[in-house]
Amino acid sequence: MPYGTRNSGMQSLRRIGALTLWLLASASPWARAANADDLLDLAQFRGRVVYVDFWASWCAPCRQSFPWMNRLQGELGRDGLVVIAVNVDRERADADRFLHEHPAQFRIVYDPDGRLPEKFGVRGMPTSFLIDRSGHVQARHEGFLVRDRDALTQQVRALVLAH
Amino acid sequence: MRIQSIARLAILLGLILGACGCTSLGVKPWQREILARPEMALNAAPIDAAIDDHIYFSKEAASGGRSFAGGGCGCN
Amino acid sequence: MQLKRPRSPLHLGLMAASCALLSDSARAQAAPDDAAEKPLQIDTDLLYYKENAGRVQTIEPVVSLKKDFGDQRLLDGTLTLDTLSGATPNGAIPSRKPQTFASPSSTSLTPKPGYKTTLYTIGPGDLPQDPHFKERRVAGDLDWSQPIGLDNTVSYGGHASTEHDFDSVAVHVGLSHDFNEKNTTLSAGIDEEYDRIHAHGGNPVAGSDYALYEKEPSQTKNLAGGLIGVTQVMRRNWLTELNYTFDHSQGYLTDPYRIISVLDDTGAVTGYRYENRPDTRTRQSLYWVNKVALGPTVLDLSYRRGKDSWGIGSDTVDAKLRIDLGSGMYLEPHARWYHQSTADFYNLYLSETGPAPTYMSADPRLAAFAATTFGLKFGIATSRNGELSLRLEQYQQRPSDQASSLAELHGLDLNPNLKATIVQLSWHLEY
Repeated sequence: MPYGTRNSGMQSLRRIGALTLWLLASASPWARAANADDLLDLAQFRGRVVYVDFWASWCAPCRQSFPWMNRLQGELGRDGLVVIAVNVDRERADADRFLHEHPAQFRIVYDPDGRLPEKFGVRGMPTSFLIDRSGHVQARHEGFLVRDRDALTQQVRALVLAH
Repeated sequence: MRIQSIARLAILLGLILGACGCTSLGVKPWQREILARPEMALNAAPIDAAIDDHIYFSKEAASGGRSFAGGGCGCN
Repeated sequence: MQLKRPRSPLHLGLMAASCALLSDSARAQAAPDDAAEKPLQIDTDLLYYKENAGRVQTIEPVVSLKKDFGDQRLLDGTLTLDTLSGATPNGAIPSRKPQTFASPSSTSLTPKPGYKTTLYTIGPGDLPQDPHFKERRVAGDLDWSQPIGLDNTVSYGGHASTEHDFDSVAVHVGLSHDFNEKNTTLSAGIDEEYDRIHAHGGNPVAGSDYALYEKEPSQTKNLAGGLIGVTQVMRRNWLTELNYTFDHSQGYLTDPYRIISVLDDTGAVTGYRYENRPDTRTRQSLYWVNKVALGPTVLDLSYRRGKDSWGIGSDTVDAKLRIDLGSGMYLEPHARWYHQSTADFYNLYLSETGPAPTYMSADPRLAAFAATTFGLKFGIATSRNGELSLRLEQYQQRPSDQASSLAELHGLDLNPNLKATIVQLSWHLEY
């Protein structure tokens, strides 16, 4: 058998194998979660610092985090900060009620099935992720404690204002 | 007095519940909307409970047993 | 009368991480645009408790303040006032002939110069009870809880109460640890209580002849207890908790006001003795509670099994169903079933023939009985997060042992059923 023919045969086999694996993988729940890009595609924010916050109407510390995120977005928006708050309420009406009491001046993404927290590996509510301009997660913050607020503000400011 | 019988029962039930905790029981952190409701707290009406405890303590031989950690929204 | 304070529940209570309770996170460094949160909760309650047949009646106001200092650091203070009146059974059983007793505050059974004697006479067939009973109690509780790291909470607190014949202080410490993404919580606590008993007219010499009316100065007792528990989130709508508690008391555990009738073979009264209980008592209980949400309705179902070294075993089943009526109103029916077995040294009466036992008591609270409670609570939301509610309950105790075959006691109800009505008005406010 000519050497070249065998190689191209193996290559096709590998390609078919990879395609099959890819098809199987995308059908699995893991892939479904990994493909939550329809909800939030971070690629579009490359070049900007993204603060992703997971919140719910029933999460008490979130009531403190919203005014703080408003201030943050207002202060650092023009320097390239994008605050995105992902809501995980099962009922949209609950989220709307919360937003009525705590208006948001930043993007809200609705994820009632919880695909994004699954993908991000959220272990507690609330949780936020600080993503740098290259799209890498620089920090993960669990909870929203009053005593951690200043340090968190400094951390975000430092990342946004650094060039 | 057979301390052993209640203690054994307690250990058995505790182990079952504890073991269950390591596998499939429980919810994801973002699925606690029902548990976060105030009426789902284990001590939802603490003064009612204290008053009842006081009444039954005064009129019956058994008493107490409660503690209320856990449940809720799990928020930090 | 010793108003037995419930052993301070090892309430790691404030650690219930219900979001709404913690919804009032402090605005410690609040900027003007922070949403107005409510860190202070004020609860005012009024309890009215009344037993049948002219027995105990109490009016009890309670005021409780809870302040959130932010990040789940909570301070909880409660003040309770208790005024009791009405007749209380003295432990002797009814007789065909009238019986005369001295109120405990008397310093002598028979009128003597320089001594105080307050007597009361009980008619034939009536349950002997002291009509002069009056008591006032003040109790205070203070508790603190705070997180340690993201997954642990520590709590500690104290309690003190005083009334004319009884003083008590207690402290408790508790710790809880969350894991499994906060689906499982382990808790442990210990408490210690120290009491001083100084009955009206002095503590009687335990087991002594009532006619001798021998009294002693004040006595003390103490209690040390522990609790371990596990709370588990079972489903999105189902939370369960299992607790094991253990406590050991020692010291003066006798009721200083209770006597026990001494009868001859026909059932006629020949005298009385003061009761005498062991000076140690060990108790254990296993408590299992469930909270299940069925739509807007919430079911609270619990079972408790208790056992102690005095031979008393108990079972308690408690069920509550909170029915949401909309517009901030709810209705909560409640049912409780309780049963206890008799203490080893409990007797309705003693026989004068035969040796006197070491320990003896005719206190109905140590007898075998079944009890039921049926109640209804109605609540209505007032301003944002406020609530007004009314609770009405009916409690009934049915002792197992109520009659005797002795000739003189034929047809007499020796340990009548107890019925009590409970009314509680509550007002909850948040600032």
